[in-house]
Amino acid sequence: MRAKRIVALAVAAVSVISMSVAVAAPSNAATNFCTVTDLKTAGGMDALVAAAKKEGTLNVITLPRDWANYGEAMDLFTKAFGIKIVDDNPDGSSAYELQTIATAPAAKQPDVVDIGVSALNTVTGAGRPSIFAPYKVATWNHIPNVWKDPAGAWYGDYSGIIALSYDSSVSPAPTKISDLTNPAYKGMVALGGDPTAAQMSFLSVFAAAIAKGGSVTNIQPGLDFFKTLKSNGNFVAVNGNGENYAAGAYKISLSWNFNAPGAIATAKAAGKTLKFVIPTDAVLQGTPYIQAINKKAPHCAAARLWEEFLYSENKGITSAKVTAADKKLSGSKLFAKIEGGQNIFVSGGATPINAPAMIKAKSIINGPEGLNIPKGAKIVQPNPDQQDAAKKLVIAQWPTL
Amino acid sequence: MSQAEIQTRKGASLRGTLSGQSLGLILGILPLVSFMGVFFFWPLWSVLWSSFQDNVGAFTLANFQVALGEPYKTAFSNSISLGLISAISSAIPGAVIAYVIESRGGERLRQFVASISGVLSTTGGVPLAFMFIAAYGAEGSATAVLRAFGINIYAGTFTLYSLAGVIFVYSYFMIPTMVIVFSPAVHGIRKEWQEAAKNLGATTAQFWRRVGIPLLFPSFISSLLLLFAAAFSAYATARAMTSGSVALVPLMIGNLVDGNVINDQMNLGKALAMGMVLVSLVAMIPYLLIQRRASRWQ
Repeated sequence: MRAKRIVALAVAAVSVISMSVAVAAPSNAATNFCTVTDLKTAGGMDALVAAAKKEGTLNVITLPRDWANYGEAMDLFTKAFGIKIVDDNPDGSSAYELQTIATAPAAKQPDVVDIGVSALNTVTGAGRPSIFAPYKVATWNHIPNVWKDPAGAWYGDYSGIIALSYDSSVSPAPTKISDLTNPAYKGMVALGGDPTAAQMSFLSVFAAAIAKGGSVTNIQPGLDFFKTLKSNGNFVAVNGNGENYAAGAYKISLSWNFNAPGAIATAKAAGKTLKFVIPTDAVLQGTPYIQAINKKAPHCAAARLWEEFLYSENKGITSAKVTAADKKLSGSKLFAKIEGGQNIFVSGGATPINAPAMIKAKSIINGPEGLNIPKGAKIVQPNPDQQDAAKKLVIAQWPTL
Repeated sequence: MSQAEIQTRKGASLRGTLSGQSLGLILGILPLVSFMGVFFFWPLWSVLWSSFQDNVGAFTLANFQVALGEPYKTAFSNSISLGLISAISSAIPGAVIAYVIESRGGERLRQFVASISGVLSTTGGVPLAFMFIAAYGAEGSATAVLRAFGINIYAGTFTLYSLAGVIFVYSYFMIPTMVIVFSPAVHGIRKEWQEAAKNLGATTAQFWRRVGIPLLFPSFISSLLLLFAAAFSAYATARAMTSGSVALVPLMIGNLVDGNVINDQMNLGKALAMGMVLVSLVAMIPYLLIQRRASRWQ
């Protein structure tokens, strides 16, 4: 009895020592995770996961849970790695993210940002000090060159396509943007915000331009189209959000396809049936949203693990399926077992930046039903310069349309 | 104790009381001064300072040049009209309500109106917009009730999501605000004055023309100014109801400093903000003139 106990104690002691050795070895004092620029310099996935777990928290900023399936991404990350995520001002803007980096105290600094391309220009332009810490994720080579900084300061992540959303009571059901002038839709059509303030609404006007004979260099037909909608009474200037939809203030809107799963669920809770369809007369793809690690990140390892996670192309398990046994796996094994961020975006209806490489490697999962791009449709994607030129027209004309 | 000693002591104690008094005064106004400094003068200075800077911190007048052009010119004219129309259309009914309640109402009615006005006057922002969307929107509950009585507010060209709609919604908190700020002035008109005027042979109309209205006019103008400032600068309600389709200065400032479409023009937003400060200062001028006249006459 006594001998057995001693043996048990000895075993326990040895395992404790070996465990502490296992933890201590990778998080070797020489590794400063704030200057680590890729997985190799981090000492491998085991070391990165161990260091991130030790930090225990990740500060994100302006990530709405139902935007591009970020809710699932955050849940899975927290559940698998036991790292708490603090999301500051989920409905804030890109400008708010950059303002926070400029002004917030050290502990409240975001670790990572998710910003629009136009906001990116304000911090990478000539004469601006760099505010991002360069890092290249493991799947770096799969990111198209145009959407990443060669030094790794920022990188595109996912994009959306402008979809038509409509209440199931709308008859006839719209299938293309040019349908919206139908007199049956009087007082029903809204935008998801002010096109001079919200990127999604701005690109909705761009999609209307494509539908009405415009091009990436000509947004005017889109403005003319909304002018027609306004004068025939179809357009209502109410903010096309979930609450106003539930209150019956509008029935048809234009929105990112990656908002569909969240919006459909919210509508269902309010007793409504919301449908999404990609318009057959304009398939407009937005510019990707940009990821970057804050130079002042308070949790350097967690920030880098989050980026590795968002760019992972794994097909693995979702947050609902993570078990207690999984959490005991080594960092690299756990990382390989869970679903990667690129496929989480796919489940949310978004197009991940690594999609071309994933399609080639057959590592991409199937997206939600109903958001398929019509066969033979030409995908249009205005580049940032073309968008800037178009914005000038929208800013000048929209307020007095 | 020598004479000199006594004098020194006296002097010391005299100085002591004086400095004690001024110390008390300084301590007394310190909270106010620091509050004004932190929440008024410092922000004002920083907005003024950066409105003359470009994106990398060099001096420029370009922000003001752009702010004077379109679409900002239209935005200023819309915002000023919105401020004036909604101030006047709320001040008149508000003043009448205040007068009726103060002169005819009993103590209980007065208290009831005061507390209900207090609640309504602080309703604003997105919740206020949503209340009206849910009540007077195309499928709103009030719209449905009116329709049951044969009144279809959407038969014509009316839409809640326009400048007219915004003025309508603002009246919800502006009329009660007028009742609150104007009631004390009405309360100040004593019955004795009216009786005295009557005894001297004045008709009711003469009393109002010669005594009542001149007495209330300065208060009315200052209340009007308060309402103008509220409507001129309101942001969230208008934003939720117009999607930018009505050009208003506060919405444009919001887009410039916090939008996802326009970037790199934050200092233009600050130039527009200085424009709003200027409009508010100009609006103060008639008030100051009337106050000066009123104080001379009083």
